[in-house]
Amino acid sequence: MNIARFREPTFIGWGNYVKLFSDPYFIQVIKNTLVYVLGTVPISIILGFLFALLVNRKVRGIGFFRLAFFHPMVLPMVSAATIWLFLFTPDYGLFNTALRFLGYTGPENWTGNPNLALLSVIIVAIWKNSGYYMVFYLAGLQNLPEDVFEAAALDGANSWQTLWKITFPMLRRTTLFITIVAFIDSFRTVDHIFVLTSGGPSRASTVLLFDLWLERFEYQNIGSSAAITVIFVIVLLAFTVTNFITSERKEA
Amino acid sequence: MKKKFLYQIFALLLILGLLAGACAPAKEPVQEKPAQAEPTVAEEAAPTAEAEGEQAEEPAMEPVTIQVFYPVAVDAPIAEILKGYIEDFQAEYPYITVEPVFSGGYGDVQTAIQTTIDGGGEPPALAVMLATALYDLINADYIVPLDGYIAGMEDGDAYLADFLPAFLDNSYYDDQLWSIPFQRSAVVMYYNVDKFAEAGLEPPTSWQTWAEAAQQLTTKEGDATNWGLQFPSGWPYWLFQPLAIGSGQNILEDDCTVVFDDPAVIEAVQFYIDLSAVYGAMPPGVQSVWPTATTDFASGSTAMITHSSGSLTGILDQAEFEVGVMPYPGKQEGTYASVPGGGNFYIMKGAPQEKQDAAWLFVEFLSRPEYVADYSINTGYIANRASAYDTEAMQAYTAEVPQALATRDALQYAGAELATQNLGQVRGIFHDYLQRAYNGEMSAADAMAAAQAEADTALADFCP
Amino acid sequence: MEKPGLRKSLWQIGTWLTNILATGLALLWSVPVIWALVASFRPASDALSRGDVWFSDTLTLENYLHAWSMAPFGRYYINTILVVLTILVVQLVTIVLAGFAFANYQFFGKGWIFFFVLLQMMIPTSALLAPNFSTIRTLGIFDTRLAIAIPYFGSAFGTFLMRQAFISVPRDLVDAGVIDGCSWWQLIFHVYLPPSIPSLVAFGLSSATWHWNEFLWPLIITNSDKSRPLTAGLVRFTQLGEIGAQWSLLTAATLMVAAPLFIVFLIFQRRFIQSFVHSGLK
Repeated sequence: MNIARFREPTFIGWGNYVKLFSDPYFIQVIKNTLVYVLGTVPISIILGFLFALLVNRKVRGIGFFRLAFFHPMVLPMVSAATIWLFLFTPDYGLFNTALRFLGYTGPENWTGNPNLALLSVIIVAIWKNSGYYMVFYLAGLQNLPEDVFEAAALDGANSWQTLWKITFPMLRRTTLFITIVAFIDSFRTVDHIFVLTSGGPSRASTVLLFDLWLERFEYQNIGSSAAITVIFVIVLLAFTVTNFITSERKEA
Repeated sequence: MKKKFLYQIFALLLILGLLAGACAPAKEPVQEKPAQAEPTVAEEAAPTAEAEGEQAEEPAMEPVTIQVFYPVAVDAPIAEILKGYIEDFQAEYPYITVEPVFSGGYGDVQTAIQTTIDGGGEPPALAVMLATALYDLINADYIVPLDGYIAGMEDGDAYLADFLPAFLDNSYYDDQLWSIPFQRSAVVMYYNVDKFAEAGLEPPTSWQTWAEAAQQLTTKEGDATNWGLQFPSGWPYWLFQPLAIGSGQNILEDDCTVVFDDPAVIEAVQFYIDLSAVYGAMPPGVQSVWPTATTDFASGSTAMITHSSGSLTGILDQAEFEVGVMPYPGKQEGTYASVPGGGNFYIMKGAPQEKQDAAWLFVEFLSRPEYVADYSINTGYIANRASAYDTEAMQAYTAEVPQALATRDALQYAGAELATQNLGQVRGIFHDYLQRAYNGEMSAADAMAAAQAEADTALADFCP
Repeated sequence: MEKPGLRKSLWQIGTWLTNILATGLALLWSVPVIWALVASFRPASDALSRGDVWFSDTLTLENYLHAWSMAPFGRYYINTILVVLTILVVQLVTIVLAGFAFANYQFFGKGWIFFFVLLQMMIPTSALLAPNFSTIRTLGIFDTRLAIAIPYFGSAFGTFLMRQAFISVPRDLVDAGVIDGCSWWQLIFHVYLPPSIPSLVAFGLSSATWHWNEFLWPLIITNSDKSRPLTAGLVRFTQLGEIGAQWSLLTAATLMVAAPLFIVFLIFQRRFIQSFVHSGLK
């Protein structure tokens, strides 16, 4: 809220930025964000690609396989995260039951443990997004010209070679697109954090957009939230533009 | 070429960034009291605020339509219930039309109102928001004081005195009344009466007996444990407060003073830790079990949980044993503690006067004992006025569900819920350090000392 | 190549392994929703507990009936479908045209304009609530389905996606089209669009999903059931902060809201049919 009484706008130059970067919490938020982005983006993209390969076939009932990978995307995030909250329940939650079955003996209190809370929101994000990226890879695969593969087959390339030497390089534009989208998504989704951990315990799972939301709507500190918004956009832009320029240069 | 383009972009961004940062409001306190309610409000309001609702209003009243933004936070058909009340209200005040607008959760209501005002729209005349949002709403200049309306009532003092006192705790600021309790709850302790009887235990009367009972009721079942107690702490201040109050010191004194580092508060933190560390009576560390604790209790696995009184209906529905409800036992033998929660009615300043007046009539209407009783029975919220308990409906209900009386009785041991200036930040700081202590990352004393220091800084700008 | 028999059996083993892997992963991925489906048929009065998290003794539809009775879901379905379709139709036109312009033409400031399109993807939605609200008020369409849809008529994401798809179309094809005398819209329809249909479908699925599930903006910009979408009904079950989770009710409401999207996906996923695997690597 615009706290008219206490927060009259005054010119403070870089003040809000200086304050942010000298705040140990904000440094922790940056670190969390980094871990979150590095934890979700590459794995979701690789899984998305793998899923796309697995279901890119003309087989009866393949639609259900595609649905199996894509459906988490369709669920509203708040509902999905609430369902996961149950899966994460210590002791009898399905996630822990399954892990124990596989020989896991570590802590089961996923959302309350400062070392696991961030991991738990990463797991949910990967589960939710991989199928989304699969769809774009499927579309990309569809765009590939067939003659190249026919030629490769005539040359005796096995499917592994075809995959790495032909399919993947030819999907470069799709991968660029998905990488940028996945990167932006990883910054923009916070609903599951609200439901699963509220950014805790002790802010262990607070990422940049969650922090922005806190500053804007919880702390109602418009100065800080504006500064975070700017940092937020700069980071995303820097990534996108760099990625774009390096990748499209090859084509020029 | 490309490189130059990149540089241009960054230059542009830096300029944008500086501008955004530069024109951003800084925390510069402007030391002035909130505007006193203009006496004219009271005088204008008085004629319409007649308490005798039975009488027909002056026929000359201009038609007026008001909106009420409300959240739904319990499993009850709130929309249907409100619709019924509104029909009754409109029958009595034919010139007023009330449009209820469901706006999501409590946070969503506030976001919706904020967006409406920021976007230049007219806010609803009436909104149900958290009782603890008081100072934020006053500081943002969103709400009006209600003293004028109370003064205009035939017996305003009696009207106010009828509310359970704990629920009015967060309604006053600067000697003015800003909100009227509506859907209110309290923190209580649920216990499995059957398990207590089997173990030959009495309901606990002190921390000592509480912890011992929890310890005794913690049983192993193969690899799994049936805990004696579950104490959710994912969003911890609310359920923690009764521990501090029971220890002899609430965590706040007024809107500008929090008390986190008092020895009694530190002892309360330590008690939470000891419940698992010393007594082995509950799982260690932060427990994000708010949603699952109720089912663990209702299925008979966990013997006791701390939770909201709002969960009573759901628990009674599921449990196949006798459910006991009581305030937290305090540290000393025979002492108890609780803390209220839930939402109040606020009248919004941005609405035209005639809408504000109509909104008040609606608030007053819903404060009638029969409606308070009916709302409590149908939603599981605590009936917030003493007279509601004398109504026939409520008598019949409490005869059937005596636990509903226990939730009310818990309130006599209640202290104020955490509500301060700059609440979001202060609460965030407290959560942060409380969880550090729960998780063993800091000692209770160090954590609370750090929380106190940071909270004092966060309050300094707001409290001259 | 010298031993076609061996190669064929190797290929078959590979297919089997692929099938097993796909089945395993698909099951793993579906566990949460399968659980949700089972839980939605559990009586609400039957508490979940250790060793009893799946089926209870009885199956019941009461959760669906209860959820359905809590809000005018019938009307909400219509509103959501209309909003999503409106957005989708307008978006398909705008993104195809914009993607075509960025892929096909050279014009002054193209780099910068594309940059600003990308920029739009990055602004946090919470920063746009108040400005959008203000625009809707000026337009005088508060509390209408159009008000929910209008901010999304352009899509940076879609423009970006279509540009990527269109520049993948071989330049020779475009040139051939130009030589044949295609007008710009014939180029779009006959040269650019046919190979890009899967991208359009992918975009359509993502856009529909996104707008189907959006709740904050619709809640703010509408205030009566006549224009509110499904999420206004769903949020009724996801924000029960005062009480513990009502698993059976929440799962029933969630599946009720999501079911149409599942069906739409099953219909449209047929657009992702690859043929090269079979034709090329038999």
